[in-house]
Amino acid sequence: MICKPLFKATVKQNFTVFFIILAVLMVYLPIIIIMYDPATQDSLKDVLALLPEGLIAAMGFNNLGTTLTDFIGSYFYGFLILLLPMIYTITVCNRCIASHVDKGSMAYLLSTPNKRTKIAATQALFIITSTTVMIAFIATAGILISNIAFPGELDISAFLLLNLGTLLLYYAVTGIGFFASCFFNDTKNSLVVGAGLPIAFLVIQMISDVGEKVRFLKYFTLFTLFDPEKIIGGESFIPQFITLLIITAIMYGLGIYVFDKRDLPL
Amino acid sequence: MKPIINIEGLTKDYGNHKGIFDLTFCVEEGEVFGYLGPNGAGKTTTIRHLLGFLTPDKGSSQILGMDTRTRSADIMKYLGYLPGEIAFFDQMTGIEFLKFMGEMRGLNDTKLRDRLIDLFQLDTKSRIRKMSKGMKQKLGLICAFMHDPKVLILDEPTSGLDPLMQKIFAALILEEKSRGKTILMSSHSFEEIERTCDRVGIIKRGELAATENIHDIKQKRRKTYVVTFDNAVTAADFAKSHAFDIVDIKENIVRLSIMGNVTEFIKSLDKYTVLDLDTERSSLEDIFMHYYGDSETDN
Repeated sequence: MICKPLFKATVKQNFTVFFIILAVLMVYLPIIIIMYDPATQDSLKDVLALLPEGLIAAMGFNNLGTTLTDFIGSYFYGFLILLLPMIYTITVCNRCIASHVDKGSMAYLLSTPNKRTKIAATQALFIITSTTVMIAFIATAGILISNIAFPGELDISAFLLLNLGTLLLYYAVTGIGFFASCFFNDTKNSLVVGAGLPIAFLVIQMISDVGEKVRFLKYFTLFTLFDPEKIIGGESFIPQFITLLIITAIMYGLGIYVFDKRDLPL
Repeated sequence: MKPIINIEGLTKDYGNHKGIFDLTFCVEEGEVFGYLGPNGAGKTTTIRHLLGFLTPDKGSSQILGMDTRTRSADIMKYLGYLPGEIAFFDQMTGIEFLKFMGEMRGLNDTKLRDRLIDLFQLDTKSRIRKMSKGMKQKLGLICAFMHDPKVLILDEPTSGLDPLMQKIFAALILEEKSRGKTILMSSHSFEEIERTCDRVGIIKRGELAATENIHDIKQKRRKTYVVTFDNAVTAADFAKSHAFDIVDIKENIVRLSIMGNVTEFIKSLDKYTVLDLDTERSSLEDIFMHYYGDSETDN
């Protein structure tokens, strides 16, 4: 069900943006890990206390915890991990289907003996695989750097679980992007939904963290299903993970279905 | 003869009298069919149905007996397609694109591809983004022909090609025809397809105005001739003494319109000093007017 040459071409097309985002992440991750210092945790808290509380909460820095895992979970997985790979997934989701339809190059893909479902499934597989590879790189780098800088400090199983949560969240986010890419005829509309919705989710998440009065907003963002604090703390996260998986399956399935059935302006 | 491309009552209404309406025709095996119509008449919409990009409101179309919407992937094994709008994978070079398309088709033999590259004298090493419109058109043509398909659907194949390349293209079409290929090509200019087509279907405002044998069309076709005499007096004399359909007289230049055979016309010029004799290219609109009457005002 997969079209190998297309997969290869898509890898080639998106390699640069993948590499750039990964490189930026790989710059941030070591900096944040090295910033962790049990001795200076208190002084860091003092510095943060100088900043407005709302701002700190919005960035997800409100609970720095005491362990290295808490620290990374709050600093890196509270905000950066929600923003940077999203730039990649938004770009790639849009490029995979909508941009081919918009430019007209989809006409060439569909003039070969490959079903629409196969083309769409190939692109979906690329999005899922490349996102997985990106998160896997981060997880591996996180473990390696932590163990070099602070041997034995990182709770590896909690950290891996954190990355699994991140991955599932991204599956769901790319599901939305992929569906939008399959559904719309032009890049503009695909981006309005495929990029607009995840960004809106992120902004709502940031606002809902600010205080009790706006806490209800968390029911309007997908990102509520990914809570680093709870995952590290070992609190309930399985229902959230399952929900993310269901959203992923529905969005990708629907995307392929819609693309197969609809009229294409090629 | 069996129909290779079959269209039956195909309708796609985009509203505002745009789209195609109850279109029925077929293209038989080994035939080159010219699909003629002004811009926006519905040529590309028809072709999009044949490629399986659109679901018709009513009616259906088949290629090689297979429904074009539901079995398009099977049809594509035997079909070569040149899209009307050229859009490729910009960042690839010409040869990368052709290799990619070959792989997508599961094509191993590159002999025909290389022969076509030679034939069209295409520099395949340059990036597609940097290519001129003509170069892109050549690339699209190579892509449509390189897997030696039984059926070819070409949307405005000669647009962007210079006269020399148009000639090469016409020769290629005739060669493919002699090898039994079935070809449908659209155009908005009669001159472009008269060299190669056996039969012509004329579409206007989404409806098929006529399908005609190319020879019948040529016979019934009115051409406008422009004769330049040595002076205005002889010009007037010529116009007066012959029963030709004179369009106008300007000084020593007479424009007249003749349908079919020109023997009488040539004989009549014998007595005069003719400085120049020219034909005016008849536009598609002229052809419509002459054959089917002016239907611009009928809706």
